[in-house]
Amino acid sequence: MAAPLLEPQLLRRLEALALMVRRAVKGQTGGERRSVSRGRSPEFADFRNYTPGDDYRLIDWNAYARLDRYMLRLFVAEEELPLSLFVDLSGSMDWGRPNKAETARRLAGAIAYVALASLDRVRLTVFAEGPTSGGAPYRGRHSAPQLFQRIQSFPAGGTTDYSRLVSPIARQRPGMTVLITDGLGESPVEPAITSLRLARQEGAVLQLLAPQEIAPDWTGDARLKDAETGAEREITATPATQASYRTALARRTDEIERAARRRGLRFVRLSSDQPVEGMVERTLRKVGLLG
Amino acid sequence: MTFLAPAAAALALTLPVIVTLYFLRIRRPTRIVPALHLWPDQIRDRQANVPWQRLRFSRLLLLQLLVAAVLVGAAVQPVLPAGAGLAPHSIVLLDASASMQAKDVQPSRLEEAKREIGAMIDQLGPQDRMTLIAMQSKPRIVASASGDHDAMRRALDDVTASNGPADMTAALSLAAGIARAGEQSRAYLYSDGIIEPLRTAFANGLPFPIEYHRIGVSGENVGLTSLVVRTGAQTRAAYLRVHNFGQQSRTFTVEWRSDAGLIDVRPLSLTGGQAQDLVLPVPDSASTVTARIDARDNFSLDDAVTAIARTPSAFRVLLVTPGNVFLEQALRLRTDFQVDVVAPAAYRGAAAYAMTVFDRFSPATLPNAPFVLVDPPAGSQLAGAAAVGIGRVRASDAGDPLLTNVSLQDVHVARSQDLNTSRFGRALITSVQTPLVLVRDQPFRQVLVGFDIHDSDFPLRIGFPILIQNLSEWMLPPSVPSRSFHPDESVTVVPETGATVVSVVRPDGSRRELTAGSIATFADTDLVGIYTVEQTVAGKVDRAWFAVNLFSEAASQLAPVDRLTLPPARAFPASQSAHRGFLQVWPWIALVALLLVVAEWLAFHRGL
Repeated sequence: MAAPLLEPQLLRRLEALALMVRRAVKGQTGGERRSVSRGRSPEFADFRNYTPGDDYRLIDWNAYARLDRYMLRLFVAEEELPLSLFVDLSGSMDWGRPNKAETARRLAGAIAYVALASLDRVRLTVFAEGPTSGGAPYRGRHSAPQLFQRIQSFPAGGTTDYSRLVSPIARQRPGMTVLITDGLGESPVEPAITSLRLARQEGAVLQLLAPQEIAPDWTGDARLKDAETGAEREITATPATQASYRTALARRTDEIERAARRRGLRFVRLSSDQPVEGMVERTLRKVGLLG
Repeated sequence: MTFLAPAAAALALTLPVIVTLYFLRIRRPTRIVPALHLWPDQIRDRQANVPWQRLRFSRLLLLQLLVAAVLVGAAVQPVLPAGAGLAPHSIVLLDASASMQAKDVQPSRLEEAKREIGAMIDQLGPQDRMTLIAMQSKPRIVASASGDHDAMRRALDDVTASNGPADMTAALSLAAGIARAGEQSRAYLYSDGIIEPLRTAFANGLPFPIEYHRIGVSGENVGLTSLVVRTGAQTRAAYLRVHNFGQQSRTFTVEWRSDAGLIDVRPLSLTGGQAQDLVLPVPDSASTVTARIDARDNFSLDDAVTAIARTPSAFRVLLVTPGNVFLEQALRLRTDFQVDVVAPAAYRGAAAYAMTVFDRFSPATLPNAPFVLVDPPAGSQLAGAAAVGIGRVRASDAGDPLLTNVSLQDVHVARSQDLNTSRFGRALITSVQTPLVLVRDQPFRQVLVGFDIHDSDFPLRIGFPILIQNLSEWMLPPSVPSRSFHPDESVTVVPETGATVVSVVRPDGSRRELTAGSIATFADTDLVGIYTVEQTVAGKVDRAWFAVNLFSEAASQLAPVDRLTLPPARAFPASQSAHRGFLQVWPWIALVALLLVVAEWLAFHRGL
């Protein structure tokens, strides 16, 4: 029997968390999120004049006694939050110790579980060369096992093409989108990030790298083979070449971060040797994605 | 340019080997990376193990070829002609005497001389040889006819300055013995010129020419040149001579100490060239007196001197004479003599006396002890033949130490017994007619004088009391002489009767054992200071002292001598010409190679 994606102890701790949104959202069904619509909830929102047809149970009789006018009490409606998870499972993610793809699966599962526990609606999309079908959305914690099973069912491999994410992102309803990727594909990430903004998504870009690619631990002569394309190149790794590599990696990371922040998205760089508990309970809480 | 090791040029074969290595390809292990496009396109061939490839331009290859070429250049040891003329055999005389400790050139004259000789060693060619002689009181060969630069360097480093003088006569004799006949040799004297005068004229000339290399620049020095303790009838006093040998006035303090503690400190100013005598009472309890100045000059060896203040034990001396004021006064000049005078008729034997002087009297039995027999009566034991007229007298051997400071030039003797047939001993003073004074060592040190003192003008001359002093010291040497000696001067120690262990403790605390049963000569007096002679007699340790001080105005003078009168060299064939020395440049080339290696290492690690 395959090991569960997330341990029961971790799941219990995740139930204490919730996704944090900066503005109210419009959902399809009731939930625990403040909605732009007025509805039923303990939280008072406003008054308005009564018009025929309104639910007379909402008339504020105290106000009628003072003003001799029928006034309706309005309350904040609480609805679900649409959360879209885009998880990169390309060939470059199937690398590193610990494996980045495995860590990405666990991280996506943890975020999804936080949303499900808050009665939010979760849609999972795995991508490499192109996105998989988002499938039916998940809602409620009872649907977590199906979601976990689906995450684990996708093998890692293939090349990354971020431009093919533009269309599925654009079809998203306004809500929250979390993009988990290493950002190392040859194609630029910027189109996908731009489309998030256009789709009025409040979201985050989580860049996941392995410690061995942050600081390469080998030197000498080697034939390098690209994990995605299979392209090869002979190289002599010296401290100078390693420094050059680190500079290129930093430049790529900075580009992604600048693109994300310019469009109002959160950006977090994570290392695959960090425990997932630490990622969600400390790092993501620190940047305000979870609370 | 000359190459000392041309065979090393074969190492140049390493150059094509390096190029060949660059023709070979490297078998590289495959590594999977997540993003190949982030890695720079940089390749460097460092090792080869499979098939050939096209030679690619590489800065590393150029640097490695350059390093190899420069190393080959250093290995062949190129030399440039440079420096002074060198003979095939160079004999270096290095003055290692006391004055070479002077610090007027830093760190010292000796080190400066060693530095110059070191440069000369570097110039030796492959066929050249060098002999190094350290010139001290006893010159010694430090390195003999060697061409090994390292061995010469080590030998040179081991030379240290002594506290004694430089015996150039012995050093030149040694060098002349080393120079082989027909060999082209040249001597180089590195000295400040403060050396003992030549004792030999070297009339036939030396088998090599000598070059004098003066070491030192200044003669500024204040030194203590004499310290003695005189015991008078009631007091004892120390007499110190301080001399400013330089040209500048100096003010300093003179500190007096005894073994009991500080006696006195007083300031003193001396103008250039001025000398001054100081007198200081010495406490009765003092055994030694030390004087020290803080002149802070270039030469510290003469800044502290020591004298022994203990009065030696007195000898009892018997003078048997019908009356001889000259002899009596001369004997009484010795403060350590207790002189008893008796008439011949009152003579009852000399068993209680260390020495007896018989004047115009000879007992029936002469004592088995040191004695002086003056003009024995005719017919008595040891008496000579009938008197003969004499006139002028002369020394039998002018260099005899018993005649030190004794002038016989104006001495006349009216008549003397004829001692030509006497078998008493060797003649000390003689005349045309007959020997006048005979001395012998066995069975005891004894003296026979053939003439009556009153028949001579000798007692009126200054040489008479000096002769009596010399003879009495010779006959009754103190067990341990309490006077001051010069460094490297031998000291005669006469062990006490019954002494089982005799040893000398040097100023540095080291101990030297002497043979207890016989008169010993102690020569390890290279250090200045107080030497303690310990004798164990019947289980009791008896201590006596003697001092070693520089006390050399010649050394303290310190001013280096510009020109030295050196013995001439014999005529040499025209072919005997010196060649120029070599300047070895390979260390500099090796340094360049080292810098290139560093550059290659940096280039490799910076990925150039």
